[in-house]
Amino acid sequence: MARLTIDGSAIEVADGTSLFDACRLARGESLPHFCYHPDLSIAGVCRLCQVEVEGMPKLTIACNTTVREGMVVHTRSERVRKASQQILEMHLINHPVDCPICDQAGECGLQNQYMAYGLYDSQVAESDKVNKAKALVIGPHVVLDKERCVLCSRCVRFCNEVTKTGELGIFNRGDRAEIGVAPGRELDNAYSVNTVDICPVGALTSRDFRFQKRVWMLKSTDSICPGCATGCNVRVDHEAGRIYRLKPRRNPAVNGSWMCDEGRLTYKDVHAEDRLLEPLWNGRVVSWADARGHLAHVVAGGFALVIGSAHQSLEEMWLLRQLAGTAALSGGLAGSDLAVGDDILRSADRTPNRRGLALAGLAEHDAAALAGLVRAARGAILVHGGDPAAAPDVAAAMAGRQDVVYVGTHRRATAAAAALALPGAMWAEKAGIFVNRQDRLQAFAQAVARPGNAREDWRVLGEMLPDQGRAPTGLKALRAGVAADLAPALAPTIDLDRLPQGGVPAGGDA
Amino acid sequence: MSFEGLPKGSTDKRRSLLESMYLLEVVRGLGVTARHLLRNIFHTGDMPTMQYPEEKRVYGDRFRGRHRLMQREDGTPRCVACQMCSTYCPADCIYITAAEHPDPAIEKYPATFDIDLLRCVYCGLCEEACPCDAIRLDTGIYEIAADHRDKFIVDKEFLLRNTTDGTR
Amino acid sequence: MDIVLESLAKIVFMFLLIMGMVPALIWAERKGAAFIQDRTGPNRASIAGIRLAGLVHPIADVLKLVFKEDIAPTHRHRALYNLAPWLVMTVAVSTYAVIPFGDYLELGGKRIPLVVADLQVGLLYVLAVASLGTYGVVLAGWAANNKFTFLGGIRATAQMISYEISMGLAVMGLMLIFGTLRLTDIVAGQGGLLFGFLPMWGVVLQPLGFVLFITAVYAETNRNPFDLPEGESEIVAGYHLEYSSLKFALFFMAEYCHMVVGAAMISALYFGGYQIPWLPRPRLEQNAGLLLVIMLAAIIAVSLWFAVLFLRRVQREKGKFGDARDREPVLGAGLWLVIAAAAAGAFLLRPWEIGPAGASVAATVFQVGAFVGKVVFFAWLFIWVRWTLPRFRYDQLMRLGWKVMLPLGLANLVVTALVLAAVGGGK
Ligand code: SF4
Ligand code: SF4
Ligand code: SF4
Ligand code: SF4
Ligand code: FES
Repeated sequence: MARLTIDGSAIEVADGTSLFDACRLARGESLPHFCYHPDLSIAGVCRLCQVEVEGMPKLTIACNTTVREGMVVHTRSERVRKASQQILEMHLINHPVDCPICDQAGECGLQNQYMAYGLYDSQVAESDKVNKAKALVIGPHVVLDKERCVLCSRCVRFCNEVTKTGELGIFNRGDRAEIGVAPGRELDNAYSVNTVDICPVGALTSRDFRFQKRVWMLKSTDSICPGCATGCNVRVDHEAGRIYRLKPRRNPAVNGSWMCDEGRLTYKDVHAEDRLLEPLWNGRVVSWADARGHLAHVVAGGFALVIGSAHQSLEEMWLLRQLAGTAALSGGLAGSDLAVGDDILRSADRTPNRRGLALAGLAEHDAAALAGLVRAARGAILVHGGDPAAAPDVAAAMAGRQDVVYVGTHRRATAAAAALALPGAMWAEKAGIFVNRQDRLQAFAQAVARPGNAREDWRVLGEMLPDQGRAPTGLKALRAGVAADLAPALAPTIDLDRLPQGGVPAGGDA
Repeated sequence: MSFEGLPKGSTDKRRSLLESMYLLEVVRGLGVTARHLLRNIFHTGDMPTMQYPEEKRVYGDRFRGRHRLMQREDGTPRCVACQMCSTYCPADCIYITAAEHPDPAIEKYPATFDIDLLRCVYCGLCEEACPCDAIRLDTGIYEIAADHRDKFIVDKEFLLRNTTDGTR
Repeated sequence: MDIVLESLAKIVFMFLLIMGMVPALIWAERKGAAFIQDRTGPNRASIAGIRLAGLVHPIADVLKLVFKEDIAPTHRHRALYNLAPWLVMTVAVSTYAVIPFGDYLELGGKRIPLVVADLQVGLLYVLAVASLGTYGVVLAGWAANNKFTFLGGIRATAQMISYEISMGLAVMGLMLIFGTLRLTDIVAGQGGLLFGFLPMWGVVLQPLGFVLFITAVYAETNRNPFDLPEGESEIVAGYHLEYSSLKFALFFMAEYCHMVVGAAMISALYFGGYQIPWLPRPRLEQNAGLLLVIMLAAIIAVSLWFAVLFLRRVQREKGKFGDARDREPVLGAGLWLVIAAAAAGAFLLRPWEIGPAGASVAATVFQVGAFVGKVVFFAWLFIWVRWTLPRFRYDQLMRLGWKVMLPLGLANLVVTALVLAAVGGGK
């Protein structure tokens, strides 16, 4: 342990902590910075994080200094303030300040820093500035504006250290120095948009999000990426019922500060053209009241087979098992949604909750087995989520049946095969829990309103319970049921209704 | 005139006897109105009334009329769709969708730019907020009328056509 | 047969007079109000650019009211709701039956009295019929089934009861003096001179009675400052709130008919009706020729003056509007010049050589003219007062009616009776 004094207050931190982190702890807010990033190596190039350490003749950068016992540090002295102001002024010498057309405006390091430490009058005329390339498409997802770059090298370090692909580099020297892509290459790794996130300015922008919305108009909701079994922690940025982008939330235990480019686009499915918005009875739109009538008719004799899916939340899976009772139960199509994974973040399993199936006690079946179950069913069949009928075997088995009920989100193969299709909610339109590949329970909250007449799945399923006395009255009640039932598999410290920010392993924190 | 110290009740006790008899006051009142009547009959031209569509009041240069969008030299809008105006607008009546401009020097332009003139309160804050001097309320147009609500939602082309001399 | 034709002719004359005055009064009301308030008033409606200083507006108003949708509340009492405006209108028009608008007309040796019905109890008839009008108002207020209209109706009733009494007491003084209820007699009785120089008008004989009467008449016609039944600041539009289109137009017109009848009553009872002061009928007939000449000369002078005014406008306002309205001054000047020319042309008929038969007719024309002139003035007085005085508060209205007017009316009656007894006058 090291004891030191920062801005007059004593603080104790572990040995080897960087002074930057110690200052953040002591001040309650970060020092001004561009190049420091907790999940990247230290570069020490932006010189914004300078602090005054007693006994040292010159100011020193905090990010590249390790704490020492007895250090006395000043972060708010006049010298420090002046230094950060001058450094900032230098960063802005050749900066175009085209904030009106810059997507970063509103969450820009330069803007924030200027408002906090700058507030000087610029002495550089517009005509004196060095001009560089603008709006350069450097990859399938990223656009580069060389003028806006402050040469913090975060993006370069990311490509070198995280993806180890090394597409980016700093070329030239002095005020001609600029970020560029290595000759003959593109910024096309599977994680390229992370460079946009970590770029403190608007030099790197996302092609998908570009000009869609000013960031200050967006509201954010914490969520989990539904793209694969990794369960990257994300933030859903949305406005007026529309999702505009996903951004990774830092969680060192799961995804660090990153997420993959593919996962970022999972929100598109929420606004897909083929969303199931109204109940369908044999392909015809009906009201919920009519749908309930048809449902009562179809399942008069109870369900003979219930099929779940690895895309649904843990609560829904459990509810599905209650609903099945003694009927045959399947967790859906085994081996569906598989693709290539890598050893950075992406799992080959592209479902968010396959471990949840196991936890809830639902077993998956391959296409042939599932088709067999369907054929064997002497009574109504309930399919919840997923798209099992995408497998030709299963579709063939379902063909001609008038007693298949589907609760799902899109008008795809299963919705077409079912006699009655009921619109459920996508992950961003409901709250729930996913269990990732590490058996980690992570909660997601509802970000946007459900479109059309879609309803929360647990309500739809709850209405089908033969014993309505056991139908959940709310999410809290539902989770209480899940917790009680899964008790042996879940650590007793886990409160499903109040999972910690970064999630918790099913076996409890080690 | 101060009303303090008036006795309670409906009558002002300070009225003289003649005044409280009302009749003479009525006649005096008739005299006042007759004076106006006769003056206006014989000096019709001196009446302050403006014959509106033919005569119009001249407003100061700072009068805020209907908006216009300023043009670049080639006639395209100066607006870069930064949405400062719509962010600042207290009436929330500016609707912009931005799009990528083919020229990287311009980069961003408004694909649509609609203003709901019925919601607008003509505060001029959009004009203040604009970093590009792209929107102004200096057309002097205050005769804003239409026979359907939808027609008050004016689009980019309409706003670009507006000029300072009040023509459309 | 003759009597029927005569009566018909007189009815038609009276009716046309009233109905002609209504739009003119509406015009005078709007234009007068405007000028009193330093505005220009209606001046937009035009027929081919001719605006007649706003006189085209009443035509436009009538057209508008006729063609407007007739919206009626669903919860109305259908029969009474439809009846009310007609009742108001009918009552307003029927009062005229007993008002003499001239002495007599001598045509082919036959004397035709210029009154539709020369009732012995004409004065009572007027009071009775006029108060019937309140029923229309009350029915309208009640049948429309709306709180505001209902309040309007109630106000009208209370107001009517309060002021009817003072009105009756006021005219009682006249009745004592002239000893008759027949209106023709009362008017004829005002032809003479008092002390040799004062016209023996009711207003001279009964100044207090006149003040009481005119106040009561204003209250009875629901005109400002007594228009509480339609006090828009409290009860929106009062009794006619739920009426639209033609039915509203009837209420609107009835108000002006009431004004005309009120003005006619005031002139007949207190201002000598058709009598021209210092010019009794015989003298009128003797000097008919001279009077005609003076009149023609006056017409020529006035129309020439107007023509000059218009010609000045022709110069001043050349191309002011850039449309058909620019022709207006030219046409106006032309019209007045034509009138002047016509009057000048009338001299060719040698009016100064008029015979005795013609002189009699001319005298009648002068007398009817005098009556119409007085009516016009008092109708204008209604308007003038409306744009001068604010409306009473309801308690003020009641106090004035019961605590001021009623005692004064009684006092006036007693004093008149005592004086009459003292001088031994009265018939
Ligand atoms: S990076 Fe963009 S938002 Fe930030 S200062 Fe530069 S132009 Fe403005
Ligand atoms: S592009 Fe952005 S992240 Fe990369 S060096 Fe420039 S400022 Fe830093
Ligand atoms: S004038 Fe005011 S209310 Fe109107 S658009 Fe501009 S900011 Fe909005
Ligand atoms: S503030 Fe100016 S440049 Fe920005 S969107 Fe509005 S009009 Fe366009
Ligand atoms: S953050 Fe320390 S030098 Fe950039």
